[in-house]
Amino acid sequence: MKNHMAARDVAIVAYGETKIERRSGKTPYELAAICMEEILGKTGLKPADIDGFATNVAHSDSINQYYTTYLCDYLGLTPRWMQVSDHGGGAALAGLSRAVMAVQAGQCEIALVLCSDSPTTVWRGANGGFRLEWWDPTGIQGPPGGFGLLMHRYMAQYQLESKALGKLAVAQREGAVLNPLAFEGFRKPLTIQDYLDSRVISTPLRLLDCVMWCDGAAGVLVTSVERAKKIKGAKRIFPTAYSEIVNFNGREAQPDITESGFSVVGPEALQKAGLKPSDIRQFQPYDDFLIAEMIQLEQIGFCRRGQGSEFLLNTDVSYRGTLPINTGGGQISAGQIGLASGMTNLVEAVRQMCGEAGERQITDPRNAMVTGIGIIPYGRNWYVSIAAILEH
Amino acid sequence: MNTKKAQRPLPQPTETTRPFWNAANEHKLMLQYDPDSRCYQFYPRMTSVKTGKRNLEWRQASGKGTVFSFTDTYVPVAGFEDIAPYALVMIDLDEGVRILANYKNYKSEHMKIGQRVRVTWEKVSDDITMFAFEPDV
Repeated sequence: MKNHMAARDVAIVAYGETKIERRSGKTPYELAAICMEEILGKTGLKPADIDGFATNVAHSDSINQYYTTYLCDYLGLTPRWMQVSDHGGGAALAGLSRAVMAVQAGQCEIALVLCSDSPTTVWRGANGGFRLEWWDPTGIQGPPGGFGLLMHRYMAQYQLESKALGKLAVAQREGAVLNPLAFEGFRKPLTIQDYLDSRVISTPLRLLDCVMWCDGAAGVLVTSVERAKKIKGAKRIFPTAYSEIVNFNGREAQPDITESGFSVVGPEALQKAGLKPSDIRQFQPYDDFLIAEMIQLEQIGFCRRGQGSEFLLNTDVSYRGTLPINTGGGQISAGQIGLASGMTNLVEAVRQMCGEAGERQITDPRNAMVTGIGIIPYGRNWYVSIAAILEH
Repeated sequence: MNTKKAQRPLPQPTETTRPFWNAANEHKLMLQYDPDSRCYQFYPRMTSVKTGKRNLEWRQASGKGTVFSFTDTYVPVAGFEDIAPYALVMIDLDEGVRILANYKNYKSEHMKIGQRVRVTWEKVSDDITMFAFEPDV
Protein backbone atom coordinates (compact mmCIF):
# COMPACT_ATOMS: atom_id res chain seq x y z
CA MET A 1 0.00 0.00 0.00
CA LYS A 2 1.28 3.48 -0.88
CA ASN A 3 2.61 5.61 2.00
CA HIS A 4 1.36 9.18 1.60
CA MET A 5 3.68 10.31 4.39
CA ALA A 6 6.92 8.96 2.92
CA ALA A 7 8.04 12.31 1.48
CA ARG A 8 8.16 14.03 4.91
CA ASP A 9 6.78 17.16 3.27
CA VAL A 10 4.20 17.87 5.98
CA ALA A 11 4.93 18.12 9.72
CA ILE A 12 3.28 18.67 13.08
CA VAL A 13 4.62 22.10 14.05
CA ALA A 14 2.81 22.77 17.34
CA TYR A 15 0.52 21.16 19.88
CA GLY A 16 -1.79 22.21 22.67
CA GLU A 17 -3.66 20.51 25.49
CA THR A 18 -6.00 21.68 28.23
CA LYS A 19 -6.10 20.42 31.79
CA ILE A 20 -8.18 17.22 31.98
CA GLU A 21 -11.06 17.69 34.41
CA ARG A 22 -14.25 16.03 35.66
CA ARG A 23 -17.36 18.20 35.35
CA SER A 24 -15.31 21.13 34.08
CA GLY A 25 -18.48 23.16 33.51
CA LYS A 26 -17.16 23.93 30.03
CA THR A 27 -18.66 23.10 26.65
CA PRO A 28 -16.56 21.44 23.92
CA TYR A 29 -16.55 24.84 22.17
CA GLU A 30 -15.00 26.54 25.22
CA LEU A 31 -12.40 23.79 25.69
CA ALA A 32 -11.49 23.92 22.00
CA ALA A 33 -10.99 27.68 22.25
CA ILE A 34 -8.62 27.30 25.22
CA CYS A 35 -6.59 24.70 23.32
CA MET A 36 -6.43 26.79 20.13
CA GLU A 37 -5.33 29.84 22.14
CA GLU A 38 -2.30 27.87 23.35
CA ILE A 39 -1.36 26.81 19.81
CA LEU A 40 -1.77 30.38 18.46
CA GLY A 41 0.31 31.70 21.37
CA LYS A 42 3.17 29.30 20.60
CA THR A 43 3.20 30.06 16.86
CA GLY A 44 2.21 33.72 16.68
CA LEU A 45 -0.54 32.76 14.23
CA LYS A 46 -4.02 34.28 14.11
CA PRO A 47 -7.31 32.47 13.43
CA ALA A 48 -7.24 33.93 9.89
CA ASP A 49 -4.01 32.03 9.18
CA ILE A 50 -5.61 28.64 9.77
CA ASP A 51 -7.29 27.47 6.59
CA GLY A 52 -7.84 23.80 7.41
CA PHE A 53 -9.75 22.29 10.31
CA ALA A 54 -10.42 18.74 11.49
CA THR A 55 -12.18 17.54 14.61
CA ASN A 56 -14.07 14.63 16.19
CA VAL A 57 -17.75 14.04 16.77
CA ALA A 58 -18.26 15.02 20.42
CA HIS A 59 -20.46 13.10 22.87
CA SER A 60 -21.22 16.49 24.34
CA ASP A 61 -22.82 17.72 21.09
CA SER A 62 -23.19 14.71 18.79
CA ILE A 63 -26.92 15.18 18.24
CA ASN A 64 -26.11 18.53 16.59
CA GLN A 65 -25.48 17.75 12.95
CA TYR A 66 -23.77 21.10 12.31
CA TYR A 67 -21.20 20.79 15.10
CA THR A 68 -18.00 21.27 13.14
CA THR A 69 -19.20 24.39 11.34
CA TYR A 70 -20.51 25.91 14.58
CA LEU A 71 -17.14 25.15 16.14
CA CYS A 72 -15.30 26.95 13.31
CA ASP A 73 -17.61 29.92 13.89
CA TYR A 74 -16.92 29.84 17.64
CA LEU A 75 -13.15 29.79 17.03
CA GLY A 76 -13.18 32.47 14.32
CA LEU A 77 -11.93 30.07 11.63
CA THR A 78 -12.82 30.28 7.94
CA PRO A 79 -11.34 27.01 6.65
CA ARG A 80 -11.03 26.08 2.98
CA TRP A 81 -10.89 22.43 4.03
CA MET A 82 -12.91 20.91 6.87
CA GLN A 83 -13.20 17.37 8.22
CA VAL A 84 -15.12 15.65 11.00
CA SER A 85 -14.17 12.08 11.81
CA ASP A 86 -16.47 9.62 13.53
CA HIS A 87 -13.90 6.87 13.99
CA GLY A 88 -14.66 6.95 17.73
CA GLY A 89 -11.34 7.02 19.57
CA GLY A 90 -9.59 6.87 16.20
CA ALA A 91 -10.84 10.33 15.24
CA ALA A 92 -7.65 12.19 16.27
CA LEU A 93 -5.34 10.11 14.09
CA ALA A 94 -7.89 9.95 11.27
CA GLY A 95 -7.97 13.76 11.34
CA LEU A 96 -4.17 13.94 11.33
CA SER A 97 -3.84 11.64 8.30
CA ARG A 98 -6.50 13.51 6.36
CA ALA A 99 -4.95 16.88 7.28
CA VAL A 100 -1.60 15.73 5.89
CA MET A 101 -3.34 14.74 2.64
CA ALA A 102 -5.23 18.04 2.48
CA VAL A 103 -2.00 20.04 2.83
CA GLN A 104 -0.26 17.86 0.24
CA ALA A 105 -3.18 18.28 -2.16
CA GLY A 106 -3.12 22.05 -1.77
CA GLN A 107 -6.60 22.16 -0.23
CA CYS A 108 -5.20 24.17 2.66
CA GLU A 109 -1.84 25.40 3.98
CA ILE A 110 -2.19 25.23 7.75
CA ALA A 111 -4.54 22.68 9.27
CA LEU A 112 -5.60 22.59 12.90
CA VAL A 113 -6.51 19.09 14.08
CA LEU A 114 -8.29 19.79 17.33
CA CYS A 115 -10.26 17.30 19.38
CA SER A 116 -12.56 18.45 22.17
CA ASP A 117 -15.29 16.92 24.29
CA SER A 118 -16.90 17.41 27.69
CA PRO A 119 -19.18 14.42 28.32
CA THR A 120 -19.06 14.90 32.11
CA THR A 121 -20.49 18.42 31.77
CA VAL A 122 -22.89 18.08 28.84
CA TRP A 123 -24.28 14.79 27.54
CA ARG A 124 -25.78 15.11 24.07
CA GLY A 125 -24.78 11.70 22.73
CA ALA A 126 -26.84 9.07 20.94
CA ASN A 127 -26.25 5.57 19.64
CA GLY A 128 -27.98 3.95 16.72
CA GLY A 129 -27.26 1.13 14.31
CA PHE A 130 -27.45 -2.39 15.73
CA ARG A 131 -27.30 -1.15 19.30
CA LEU A 132 -30.92 -0.11 19.74
CA GLU A 133 -32.36 -3.44 18.63
CA TRP A 134 -29.73 -6.08 19.39
CA TRP A 135 -27.41 -4.74 22.07
CA ASP A 136 -29.13 -2.33 24.50
CA PRO A 137 -32.16 -4.63 25.11
CA THR A 138 -29.84 -7.23 26.68
CA GLY A 139 -28.72 -4.85 29.43
CA ILE A 140 -25.06 -5.04 28.45
CA GLN A 141 -22.95 -2.47 30.26
CA GLY A 142 -21.70 -0.67 27.12
CA PRO A 143 -17.94 -0.82 26.53
CA PRO A 144 -17.13 -2.54 29.87
CA GLY A 145 -19.58 -5.31 28.92
CA GLY A 146 -18.06 -5.67 25.48
CA PHE A 147 -14.55 -5.78 26.90
CA GLY A 148 -15.62 -8.19 29.66
CA LEU A 149 -16.72 -10.62 26.93
CA LEU A 150 -13.50 -10.04 25.01
CA MET A 151 -11.30 -10.50 28.10
CA HIS A 152 -12.95 -13.77 29.17
CA ARG A 153 -12.38 -15.11 25.69
CA TYR A 154 -8.74 -13.97 25.74
CA MET A 155 -8.32 -15.80 29.07
CA ALA A 156 -9.75 -18.98 27.53
CA GLN A 157 -7.39 -18.85 24.56
CA TYR A 158 -4.22 -17.48 26.18
CA GLN A 159 -2.50 -17.01 29.49
CA LEU A 160 -3.56 -13.76 31.17
CA GLU A 161 -1.67 -12.69 34.28
CA SER A 162 -3.65 -10.10 36.22
CA LYS A 163 -0.48 -8.70 37.71
CA ALA A 164 0.85 -7.96 34.22
CA LEU A 165 -2.09 -5.65 33.59
CA GLY A 166 -1.61 -4.31 37.11
CA LYS A 167 2.01 -3.49 36.30
CA LEU A 168 0.92 -1.55 33.21
CA ALA A 169 -1.67 0.35 35.29
CA VAL A 170 1.00 1.24 37.85
CA ALA A 171 3.47 2.43 35.17
CA GLN A 172 0.87 4.66 33.51
CA ARG A 173 -0.19 6.06 36.89
CA GLU A 174 3.42 7.01 37.54
CA GLY A 175 3.28 9.09 34.36
CA ALA A 176 0.02 10.73 35.43
CA VAL A 177 1.54 11.74 38.78
CA LEU A 178 4.21 13.62 36.79
CA ASN A 179 1.72 15.05 34.29
CA PRO A 180 0.31 18.39 35.48
CA LEU A 181 -2.48 18.18 32.87
CA ALA A 182 -3.76 14.78 34.06
CA PHE A 183 -7.04 14.61 35.98
CA GLU A 184 -6.10 15.66 39.55
CA GLY A 185 -7.92 12.71 41.12
CA PHE A 186 -5.54 10.32 39.35
CA ARG A 187 -2.34 12.10 40.37
CA LYS A 188 -1.52 9.76 43.24
CA PRO A 189 0.47 6.52 42.93
CA LEU A 190 -1.18 3.15 42.51
CA THR A 191 0.00 -0.32 43.52
CA ILE A 192 -0.56 -3.62 41.76
CA GLN A 193 -2.61 -4.62 44.81
CA ASP A 194 -4.87 -1.57 44.30
CA TYR A 195 -5.49 -2.82 40.78
CA LEU A 196 -6.20 -6.38 41.91
CA ASP A 197 -8.52 -5.17 44.68
CA SER A 198 -10.55 -2.76 42.54
CA ARG A 199 -14.21 -3.72 42.25
CA VAL A 200 -15.59 -5.74 39.38
CA ILE A 201 -17.71 -3.90 36.80
CA SER A 202 -18.47 -6.64 34.29
CA THR A 203 -16.52 -9.86 34.89
CA PRO A 204 -13.58 -10.23 34.63
CA LEU A 205 -13.13 -6.49 34.10
CA ARG A 206 -12.17 -4.45 37.16
CA LEU A 207 -12.68 -0.73 37.70
CA LEU A 208 -8.96 -0.06 37.21
CA ASP A 209 -9.02 -1.87 33.86
CA CYS A 210 -11.20 0.93 32.54
CA VAL A 211 -10.98 4.57 31.59
CA MET A 212 -13.06 7.23 33.28
CA TRP A 213 -14.74 9.96 31.30
CA CYS A 214 -13.46 13.50 31.69
CA ASP A 215 -13.56 16.82 29.82
CA GLY A 216 -10.75 18.35 27.83
CA ALA A 217 -9.30 19.31 24.48
CA ALA A 218 -6.02 18.72 22.69
CA GLY A 219 -4.74 19.38 19.21
CA VAL A 220 -1.89 19.62 16.75
CA LEU A 221 -1.08 22.07 13.99
CA VAL A 222 -0.07 20.60 10.64
CA THR A 223 1.59 22.36 7.72
CA SER A 224 4.12 21.93 4.93
CA VAL A 225 7.84 22.09 5.65
CA GLU A 226 7.97 25.18 3.41
CA ARG A 227 5.20 27.04 5.24
CA ALA A 228 6.68 26.01 8.60
CA LYS A 229 9.79 28.11 7.90
CA LYS A 230 7.70 31.23 8.41
CA ILE A 231 6.07 30.06 11.67
CA LYS A 232 7.56 31.10 15.00
CA GLY A 233 8.91 28.23 17.07
CA ALA A 234 7.68 25.64 14.59
CA LYS A 235 8.59 22.05 15.50
CA ARG A 236 9.26 19.40 12.87
CA ILE A 237 7.60 16.20 13.99
CA PHE A 238 6.88 14.09 10.91
CA PRO A 239 4.04 11.64 10.67
CA THR A 240 5.83 9.04 8.55
CA ALA A 241 3.32 6.19 8.40
CA TYR A 242 -0.39 5.70 8.88
CA SER A 243 -2.72 2.74 8.44
CA GLU A 244 -6.38 2.43 9.34
CA ILE A 245 -8.99 -0.30 9.05
CA VAL A 246 -12.69 0.10 9.79
CA ASN A 247 -15.19 -2.70 10.48
CA PHE A 248 -12.44 -5.29 10.81
CA ASN A 249 -13.72 -8.85 10.08
CA GLY A 250 -16.98 -7.21 9.05
CA ARG A 251 -18.23 -10.07 6.86
CA GLU A 252 -17.29 -12.81 9.33
CA ALA A 253 -20.10 -14.31 11.43
CA GLN A 254 -17.96 -16.06 14.06
CA PRO A 255 -14.49 -14.48 14.02
CA ASP A 256 -11.88 -14.72 16.78
CA ILE A 257 -12.94 -11.82 19.03
CA THR A 258 -9.38 -11.44 20.34
CA GLU A 259 -8.13 -10.71 16.80
CA SER A 260 -8.09 -6.96 16.15
CA GLY A 261 -7.43 -4.81 13.12
CA PHE A 262 -3.99 -4.16 14.60
CA SER A 263 -2.92 -7.51 13.17
CA VAL A 264 -3.28 -5.73 9.82
CA VAL A 265 -2.44 -2.06 10.46
CA GLY A 266 0.35 -2.57 13.02
CA PRO A 267 2.77 -4.52 10.81
CA GLU A 268 1.68 -2.43 7.81
CA ALA A 269 2.50 0.92 9.46
CA LEU A 270 5.89 -0.41 10.60
CA GLN A 271 6.63 -1.66 7.11
CA LYS A 272 5.69 1.71 5.60
CA ALA A 273 8.11 3.46 7.95
CA GLY A 274 10.81 0.82 7.44
CA LEU A 275 10.93 0.12 11.17
CA LYS A 276 10.81 -2.99 13.36
CA PRO A 277 8.91 -3.09 16.67
CA SER A 278 12.26 -3.03 18.49
CA ASP A 279 13.06 0.32 16.77
CA ILE A 280 10.08 2.03 18.44
CA ARG A 281 11.28 4.32 21.24
CA GLN A 282 7.87 5.06 22.77
CA PHE A 283 4.46 3.46 22.39
CA GLN A 284 1.43 5.66 23.00
CA PRO A 285 -1.42 3.20 22.42
CA TYR A 286 -5.10 4.03 22.64
CA ASP A 287 -6.04 2.78 26.09
CA ASP A 288 -9.73 2.56 26.84
CA PHE A 289 -9.03 -0.75 28.62
CA LEU A 290 -5.74 -2.31 29.73
CA ILE A 291 -6.48 -5.54 27.84
CA ALA A 292 -6.73 -3.51 24.62
CA GLU A 293 -3.11 -2.42 25.11
CA MET A 294 -1.97 -6.00 25.63
CA ILE A 295 -3.74 -7.09 22.44
CA GLN A 296 -2.07 -4.24 20.56
CA LEU A 297 1.39 -5.19 21.86
CA GLU A 298 0.85 -8.72 20.57
CA GLN A 299 -0.74 -7.94 17.24
CA ILE A 300 1.51 -5.04 16.24
CA GLY A 301 4.42 -7.38 16.92
CA PHE A 302 6.13 -6.16 20.10
CA CYS A 303 5.71 -9.73 21.31
CA ARG A 304 4.10 -12.91 20.06
CA ARG A 305 0.39 -13.69 20.20
CA GLY A 306 -0.57 -14.75 23.70
CA GLN A 307 2.74 -13.54 25.17
CA GLY A 308 1.47 -10.13 26.29
CA SER A 309 1.51 -10.97 30.00
CA GLU A 310 5.06 -12.29 29.86
CA PHE A 311 6.19 -9.26 27.83
CA LEU A 312 4.69 -6.78 30.30
CA LEU A 313 6.12 -8.61 33.30
CA ASN A 314 9.60 -8.64 31.72
CA THR A 315 9.65 -5.11 30.27
CA ASP A 316 9.99 -1.74 31.99
CA VAL A 317 7.16 0.20 30.34
CA SER A 318 7.51 3.29 32.53
CA TYR A 319 8.97 6.52 31.14
CA ARG A 320 12.41 5.27 32.27
CA GLY A 321 12.00 1.94 30.53
CA THR A 322 13.03 0.19 27.35
CA LEU A 323 9.54 0.56 25.86
CA PRO A 324 7.83 3.54 27.53
CA ILE A 325 4.04 3.16 27.24
CA ASN A 326 1.56 6.02 27.69
CA THR A 327 4.07 8.16 29.53
CA GLY A 328 1.60 10.89 30.49
CA GLY A 329 -0.73 8.39 32.14
CA GLY A 330 -2.58 7.56 28.96
CA GLN A 331 -6.32 7.86 29.08
CA ILE A 332 -6.63 5.32 31.87
CA SER A 333 -4.62 7.45 34.30
CA ALA A 334 -4.96 10.96 32.82
CA GLY A 335 -8.70 10.69 32.04
CA GLN A 336 -10.62 9.95 28.84
CA ILE A 337 -11.71 13.23 27.26
CA GLY A 338 -14.80 11.77 25.63
CA LEU A 339 -14.40 11.16 21.90
CA ALA A 340 -11.47 13.58 21.78
CA SER A 341 -9.55 10.93 23.68
CA GLY A 342 -7.19 9.70 20.97
CA MET A 343 -5.58 13.13 20.87
CA THR A 344 -4.31 12.61 24.44
CA ASN A 345 -2.06 9.76 23.24
CA LEU A 346 -0.96 11.67 20.12
CA VAL A 347 -0.11 14.92 21.91
CA GLU A 348 1.92 13.05 24.54
CA ALA A 349 4.01 11.47 21.76
CA VAL A 350 4.58 14.89 20.16
CA ARG A 351 5.42 16.48 23.51
CA GLN A 352 8.00 13.76 24.23
CA MET A 353 9.52 14.21 20.77
CA CYS A 354 9.80 17.95 21.42
CA GLY A 355 11.65 17.17 24.66
CA GLU A 356 9.01 19.02 26.65
CA ALA A 357 7.70 16.23 28.89
CA GLY A 358 9.38 17.56 32.03
CA GLU A 359 10.01 15.04 34.79
CA ARG A 360 8.64 12.17 32.70
CA GLN A 361 10.80 12.94 29.64
CA ILE A 362 12.09 9.81 27.94
CA THR A 363 15.76 9.73 26.99
CA ASP A 364 15.52 8.83 23.29
CA PRO A 365 12.36 10.27 21.74
CA ARG A 366 13.46 9.93 18.14
CA ASN A 367 10.20 8.27 17.13
CA ALA A 368 6.82 7.13 18.44
CA MET A 369 4.03 4.76 17.57
CA VAL A 370 0.57 6.13 18.36
CA THR A 371 -2.68 4.22 17.91
CA GLY A 372 -6.41 4.74 17.82
CA ILE A 373 -9.27 2.38 18.62
CA GLY A 374 -12.90 2.99 17.84
CA ILE A 375 -16.27 1.57 18.75
CA ILE A 376 -17.53 -1.85 19.77
CA PRO A 377 -19.32 -4.01 17.20
CA TYR A 378 -21.69 -6.94 17.60
CA GLY A 379 -19.81 -10.13 18.48
CA ARG A 380 -16.46 -9.10 17.09
CA ASN A 381 -13.36 -7.18 18.17
CA TRP A 382 -13.40 -3.33 18.01
CA TYR A 383 -14.39 -1.70 14.70
CA VAL A 384 -11.56 0.77 14.08
CA SER A 385 -7.83 0.18 14.42
CA ILE A 386 -5.35 2.89 13.46
CA ALA A 387 -1.58 2.87 13.78
CA ALA A 388 0.62 5.88 13.09
CA ILE A 389 4.34 6.48 13.35
CA LEU A 390 6.00 9.80 14.10
CA GLU A 391 9.68 10.53 13.51
CA HIS A 392 12.07 13.44 13.80
CA MET B 1 -38.37 11.50 45.69
CA ASN B 2 -38.19 10.15 42.18
CA THR B 3 -40.20 6.95 42.16
CA LYS B 4 -40.28 6.55 38.40
CA LYS B 5 -38.24 3.51 37.47
CA ALA B 6 -36.34 3.32 34.22
CA GLN B 7 -37.81 0.81 31.80
CA ARG B 8 -35.78 -1.91 30.18
CA PRO B 9 -34.96 -0.76 26.61
CA LEU B 10 -37.04 -2.69 24.07
CA PRO B 11 -36.26 -3.45 20.45
CA GLN B 12 -38.18 -1.39 17.89
CA PRO B 13 -38.71 -3.77 14.95
CA THR B 14 -38.13 -2.42 11.46
CA GLU B 15 -39.53 -3.65 8.17
CA THR B 16 -36.50 -5.92 7.84
CA THR B 17 -36.55 -7.34 11.37
CA ARG B 18 -40.30 -7.72 11.98
CA PRO B 19 -40.34 -11.38 10.82
CA PHE B 20 -37.73 -12.14 13.48
CA TRP B 21 -39.76 -10.58 16.29
CA ASN B 22 -43.07 -11.99 15.06
CA ALA B 23 -41.53 -15.48 15.13
CA ALA B 24 -39.99 -14.78 18.55
CA ASN B 25 -43.51 -14.27 19.89
CA GLU B 26 -44.15 -17.88 18.81
CA HIS B 27 -40.86 -19.02 20.40
CA LYS B 28 -39.16 -19.58 17.07
CA LEU B 29 -35.63 -18.35 16.45
CA MET B 30 -35.38 -17.22 12.85
CA LEU B 31 -32.15 -16.39 11.03
CA GLN B 32 -31.46 -14.78 7.69
CA TYR B 33 -29.92 -17.20 5.20
CA ASP B 34 -27.98 -16.11 2.14
CA PRO B 35 -28.41 -18.85 -0.49
CA ASP B 36 -25.78 -17.31 -2.79
CA SER B 37 -23.07 -17.60 -0.15
CA ARG B 38 -24.71 -20.56 1.62
CA CYS B 39 -24.39 -18.97 5.05
CA TYR B 40 -26.46 -17.34 7.76
CA GLN B 41 -26.01 -13.83 9.07
CA PHE B 42 -26.93 -12.11 12.33
CA TYR B 43 -28.13 -9.44 13.09
CA PRO B 44 -30.74 -9.22 10.29
CA ARG B 45 -30.12 -6.67 7.55
CA MET B 46 -31.68 -5.55 4.29
CA THR B 47 -28.86 -7.13 2.28
CA SER B 48 -26.29 -9.90 2.61
CA VAL B 49 -22.93 -8.69 3.96
CA LYS B 50 -21.28 -11.19 1.59
CA THR B 51 -23.00 -10.24 -1.67
CA GLY B 52 -24.63 -6.87 -1.01
CA LYS B 53 -27.83 -8.29 -2.48
CA ARG B 54 -31.33 -8.57 -1.01
CA ASN B 55 -31.45 -12.26 -1.85
CA LEU B 56 -32.05 -13.48 1.72
CA GLU B 57 -34.52 -15.94 3.18
CA TRP B 58 -35.70 -16.63 6.72
CA ARG B 59 -34.98 -20.05 8.15
CA GLN B 60 -35.80 -21.39 11.57
CA ALA B 61 -32.69 -22.11 13.64
CA SER B 62 -32.18 -25.07 15.94
CA GLY B 63 -31.78 -22.75 18.91
CA LYS B 64 -28.73 -24.76 19.93
CA GLY B 65 -25.25 -23.42 20.36
CA THR B 66 -22.13 -23.03 22.49
CA VAL B 67 -21.01 -20.31 24.90
CA PHE B 68 -18.29 -18.34 23.09
CA SER B 69 -17.83 -15.90 25.96
CA PHE B 70 -19.71 -14.50 28.95
CA THR B 71 -19.73 -11.62 31.42
CA ASP B 72 -21.49 -11.01 34.72
CA THR B 73 -22.74 -7.43 34.89
CA TYR B 74 -22.26 -6.01 38.38
CA VAL B 75 -23.02 -2.40 37.47
CA PRO B 76 -26.46 -2.61 35.85
CA VAL B 77 -27.72 -0.32 33.12
CA ALA B 78 -30.99 1.56 33.62
CA GLY B 79 -33.96 -0.80 33.67
CA PHE B 80 -31.93 -3.82 34.85
CA GLU B 81 -31.30 -2.79 38.48
CA ASP B 82 -33.62 -5.41 39.95
CA ILE B 83 -31.82 -8.39 38.44
CA ALA B 84 -28.16 -7.33 38.94
CA PRO B 85 -25.75 -9.00 38.81
CA TYR B 86 -26.95 -10.55 35.60
CA ALA B 87 -25.18 -12.74 33.08
CA LEU B 88 -24.71 -12.07 29.40
CA VAL B 89 -23.51 -14.70 26.98
CA MET B 90 -22.17 -14.57 23.48
CA ILE B 91 -23.41 -17.73 21.79
CA ASP B 92 -22.04 -19.36 18.68
CA LEU B 93 -25.15 -20.93 17.19
CA ASP B 94 -24.79 -24.24 15.41
CA GLU B 95 -25.90 -22.50 12.20
CA GLY B 96 -22.67 -20.48 12.24
CA VAL B 97 -23.62 -17.07 13.62
CA ARG B 98 -22.90 -15.33 16.92
CA ILE B 99 -25.64 -13.86 19.09
CA LEU B 100 -25.59 -11.84 22.34
CA ALA B 101 -28.24 -12.65 24.93
CA ASN B 102 -29.14 -12.91 28.58
CA TYR B 103 -28.29 -16.20 30.33
CA LYS B 104 -31.04 -17.92 32.33
CA ASN B 105 -31.66 -20.96 34.55
CA TYR B 106 -27.98 -21.74 35.02
CA LYS B 107 -25.80 -22.95 37.87
CA SER B 108 -22.31 -21.57 38.38
CA GLU B 109 -20.76 -24.64 36.74
CA HIS B 110 -22.62 -23.75 33.51
CA MET B 111 -20.98 -20.33 33.37
CA LYS B 112 -18.13 -21.37 31.14
CA ILE B 113 -16.88 -21.09 27.60
CA GLY B 114 -17.83 -24.20 25.63
CA GLN B 115 -21.07 -24.84 27.58
CA ARG B 116 -23.81 -26.19 25.30
CA VAL B 117 -26.95 -24.05 25.43
CA ARG B 118 -30.46 -23.85 23.99
CA VAL B 119 -32.70 -20.87 23.34
CA THR B 120 -35.33 -19.85 25.86
CA TRP B 121 -37.83 -17.01 25.76
CA GLU B 122 -38.82 -14.10 27.97
CA LYS B 123 -41.92 -12.03 27.28
CA VAL B 124 -40.86 -8.47 28.06
CA SER B 125 -43.83 -6.50 26.67
CA ASP B 126 -47.10 -7.04 24.83
CA ASP B 127 -45.26 -7.02 21.51
CA ILE B 128 -41.79 -8.29 22.30
CA THR B 129 -40.52 -11.68 23.39
CA MET B 130 -36.76 -11.59 23.95
CA PHE B 131 -34.54 -14.55 23.14
CA ALA B 132 -32.27 -15.77 25.92
CA PHE B 133 -30.22 -18.92 26.44
CA GLU B 134 -30.04 -21.60 29.13
CA PRO B 135 -27.77 -24.61 29.62
CA ASP B 136 -28.75 -27.54 27.39
CA VAL B 137 -28.64 -30.16 30.14
